[in-house]
Amino acid sequence: MPREDFIAVDHFSFFYGAKQALFDIHMDIPERQVTALIGPSGCGKSTLLRNMNRMNDLIDGVRHAGDIRLNGSSLYDPKIEVISLRKRVGMVFQKYNPFAKTIYENVVFSLRVAGRNGRRELDEVVERSLRSAALWEEVKDRLHESAFGLSGGQQQRLCIARAIANQPEILLMDEPCAALDPTATLKIESLIRDLKEQFTIVIVTHNMEQATRCSDRTAFLYMGRLIEYGSTRQIFETPRQEETEAYISGRFS
Amino acid sequence: MSIPPQQAPDPKRFEVSKGTLLFDRLMTQVIRCGGIAVILAVFGIFLFIVKEIVPLFSGAEVRPGEVREQTGERPQVLGVDEWGERPFLYSGRDRITFISATDGQREEVEIPGLKDKVITATAYDPVNRRVALGLDDGSVGSFIVAYQTEFADDGSRTVKPEITLEPWFQVSVGEGAVKALAYGDGGAARVLVVAREKGLAVLRLAQKRALVGKPKLALAGTDDLTSQVNSEILGVAASQNGQAVLVADASGEVRYFQSDAGKVSLIEVFRPFGEEPPVRMDFLFGGVSVAMTRQGGEQKIFSLFRPEGSEIRVFGETKSFDPLGSGTPVFAPNLRNKSFLTGAGGRLTLRHLTSGATRWEGEAPFEPVLATFDGKSEHFFIAAEDGRIQGYRLDDPHPEAGWRAFFGKVWYEGGSGPVYQWQSTGGTDDFEPKLSLIPLIVGSLKGTFYALMFSVPIALLAAIFSASFLPHDMKRVVKPAMEIMASLPSVVLGFLAGIWLAPMVEDKVPSILLLCLSLPVSALLVGVLWCRLPMKSRRLFEGGREWLLLLPVLGVVAMVAWSLGPLLEKALFVYRDPGGREIADFRLWWPQATGLPFDQRNSMVVGFMMGFAVIPVIFTIAEDSLSNVPKTLTAAAAALGASRWQVVRSIIIPVASPGIFSALMIGFGRAVGETMIVVMATGNTPVTSWNIFSGMRTLSANIAVELPEAAPGSTHYRTLFLGALVLFMLTFTLNSMAEILRQRLREKNKIV
Ligand SMILES: Nc1ncnc2c1ncn2[C@@H]1O[C@H](COP(=O)(O)OP(=O)(O)OP(=O)(O)O)[C@@H](O)[C@H]1O
Ligand SMILES: [Mg+2]
Repeated sequence: MPREDFIAVDHFSFFYGAKQALFDIHMDIPERQVTALIGPSGCGKSTLLRNMNRMNDLIDGVRHAGDIRLNGSSLYDPKIEVISLRKRVGMVFQKYNPFAKTIYENVVFSLRVAGRNGRRELDEVVERSLRSAALWEEVKDRLHESAFGLSGGQQQRLCIARAIANQPEILLMDEPCAALDPTATLKIESLIRDLKEQFTIVIVTHNMEQATRCSDRTAFLYMGRLIEYGSTRQIFETPRQEETEAYISGRFS
Repeated sequence: MSIPPQQAPDPKRFEVSKGTLLFDRLMTQVIRCGGIAVILAVFGIFLFIVKEIVPLFSGAEVRPGEVREQTGERPQVLGVDEWGERPFLYSGRDRITFISATDGQREEVEIPGLKDKVITATAYDPVNRRVALGLDDGSVGSFIVAYQTEFADDGSRTVKPEITLEPWFQVSVGEGAVKALAYGDGGAARVLVVAREKGLAVLRLAQKRALVGKPKLALAGTDDLTSQVNSEILGVAASQNGQAVLVADASGEVRYFQSDAGKVSLIEVFRPFGEEPPVRMDFLFGGVSVAMTRQGGEQKIFSLFRPEGSEIRVFGETKSFDPLGSGTPVFAPNLRNKSFLTGAGGRLTLRHLTSGATRWEGEAPFEPVLATFDGKSEHFFIAAEDGRIQGYRLDDPHPEAGWRAFFGKVWYEGGSGPVYQWQSTGGTDDFEPKLSLIPLIVGSLKGTFYALMFSVPIALLAAIFSASFLPHDMKRVVKPAMEIMASLPSVVLGFLAGIWLAPMVEDKVPSILLLCLSLPVSALLVGVLWCRLPMKSRRLFEGGREWLLLLPVLGVVAMVAWSLGPLLEKALFVYRDPGGREIADFRLWWPQATGLPFDQRNSMVVGFMMGFAVIPVIFTIAEDSLSNVPKTLTAAAAALGASRWQVVRSIIIPVASPGIFSALMIGFGRAVGETMIVVMATGNTPVTSWNIFSGMRTLSANIAVELPEAAPGSTHYRTLFLGALVLFMLTFTLNSMAEILRQRLREKNKIV
């Protein structure tokens, strides 16, 4: 039975120094579904997403209030290592960012840092992850070449393969298609629909069609506040809030 | 909503203003000129250095003059004035012939008092221009050819010869005519070696100061050496100072007698060519080396040296030269330096004793039997059997230079074997400069090595820590602090090293050893313990503040280690003095245990201080390149569950490696070229040794120390430039190699 509050954002507020970026966000993200975060630029989508694996810890002078729980356990539990927490959450960034390594080494990076070096296991993981990311057929003959030899869309899919190699529970994607052409975008969207079988996915997007095409739930953020949250269908067909409607119908900038 | 009324567009809106264009062009030109000027300046410096050192590697330039005919007897002595203008020939009669080198005019001069004497042997000392004479009745005497130089009002020079006869002495030893003789003029004490048909004697002459008039030369004693030689005597030689006497006999043996404090004693018997006797024995400038030549032209140099463990200096073979070829060998020592002219059968070569190099080679127009140099080493002359003579102009400003002298092992006079040595100046005129650059190159590399050994780990680890672990607010303090450290003038550091650090650490070596060991170990231990701590207590120091915990620990460890030093010294570094007493002192223990010296101003002190100067250089550049690794990469790695250290190791360091590499190279360049610290913090002894507790002299320090006293244009001066070029090439090749490697690294780890 999938859990309805797999990621529980519990009255969460977030500050960059003196500037408050998130105001009392409260939402439950269900297991093995795709949840889209939409909203105008600067509204705090990335901030919220990055808090789900505590990437914001890397920034100086940040502060938070409230809590986020993954599968019932708090992210801010002092007994939990940030590192082991991040292993449960994969992340794909807005701009593709493969390492200066071979395709193979990019994919197995998360296993290597965990000290898993068995050749057989790594080979399996590479094939499985690249197949999941729909990249296997294109790169299977050049696994040991530099990742920079790939096209932009291929690099982004490689980043997805890298993020799911260690089989996390959650996959966070921050505008994964922002730098891609329509074909690559479509490939990644169908990929997202496939990956839903295994992962809980949170995706940030500016593309309304994309949200309707591949998400089950949609949350609309505006100026750091959660304005509306519901099934994608409901949000796009019968938005309850005026701002939501204004935004999705494009009357908003 | 109404649209504001449209205004007519400005027709000039697509134009670029004249000022912008002008400024743009101007700046382009200025920058281009600047760039070209920099390249030209570097190239100019390089050219200047090369121009200064090229003469070192060119051989001697020799221009022959005209052959001057002279019909007559076979000459026995060929001499010349110090200007090389009026050579003379003497054939063992009562006349002496002067020939003008410029127009060939001859002038015969009578030597008073030689009218009825039968001269059976002559010897010539070109320094004093003294012709020693041996007679058929066994008496010996000498005359001196002096030249009076007169300068006319128009600046022209006339050289007028003048002959002074010296007293005669009857040799009381042996019988028969004088066969061979040699004159050694040591000023107040002189020797005359006389071989008669039967008998060998050394006459000791003393200059007696008279109350009025000139000092008088008197016989102080005669030593009979007849019984010391068993075969027929073929030749005798005496060194310039009269202290060394060599006697060659028919059996091939050469005997070395030392004349010292009124006593002549046999020191050594040796065979330069086995059974065969040498046909010539000629002392070289300085009187320490003698060239032995045998029939057929084989030539060997024997020099006085002190064998290990011996107090007495003996002759040993230091060099052998290619055979001269058949014919009568001729020989003339240069009167200014250690080169000499030799040859046989019409071929002439100018050789140098120290470097063993052939400076010049040429064909004489006749087969010479005599040769001589002028006193300024600007001319030499050769004479044929029939009395023809020819002069040569010689231009050889750097006879002692050459590849061998600078980079090879050279057996210097007085040394007990070939060595690399730098000793450019000495107390006496006949001092032989030792110009090997090897000790200086080793010194440079040694100082650099110890400095980098100390600074590279500290600087790189600090850079990594500061770039990847230290919180921002602290980083803002650390970086400017490092930059202040970099701006400390090196003369201040050198001063501190020499005056304060060197005396302070001199007797604290064991403490420093302990420190070097215990600090890293305890830091690692704290790290291990830290990992064992429960999460809760670790949170207290999280986020790059862990060092606050480490600092007091390190402080305590350092204090303990420092104070435990003497205990370690007592336990391990105990010196046993000759009386059997035991003294716990590292300074005495080190030479005893390793055989290497311990200096107060040593490489360790230089390593610390130069390291101190290099740390900020490496740190700043490495830190910058580490900080510039794109955040997207580190974030991606962190998101994949890499720990901070894993992010650093597998992402940051590889991407920053070209920058780290150039940091190391710039640090290296700084250390190699560093001058003031080395000058002030070491004894500047040019030793070829990697001993950490001895000093050194680096190429740069050598230039700083010696250039002010080197005469421009001299060999010494040019050699210093050669040192500069070596330094230049050293850094240049290393930097070029590093640049290539850096490009490779960048290629490999490039980020899009
Ligand atoms: N590192 C930071 N330091 C300070 N303020 C920040 C930082 N990152 C983001 N902010 C601010 O927080 C707010 C939310 O930013 P966030 O990146 O979450 O927006 P976003 O919704 O992802 O926008 P976009 O769609 O343009 O990516 C913005 O006002 C931004 O200026
Ligand atoms: Mg964003």
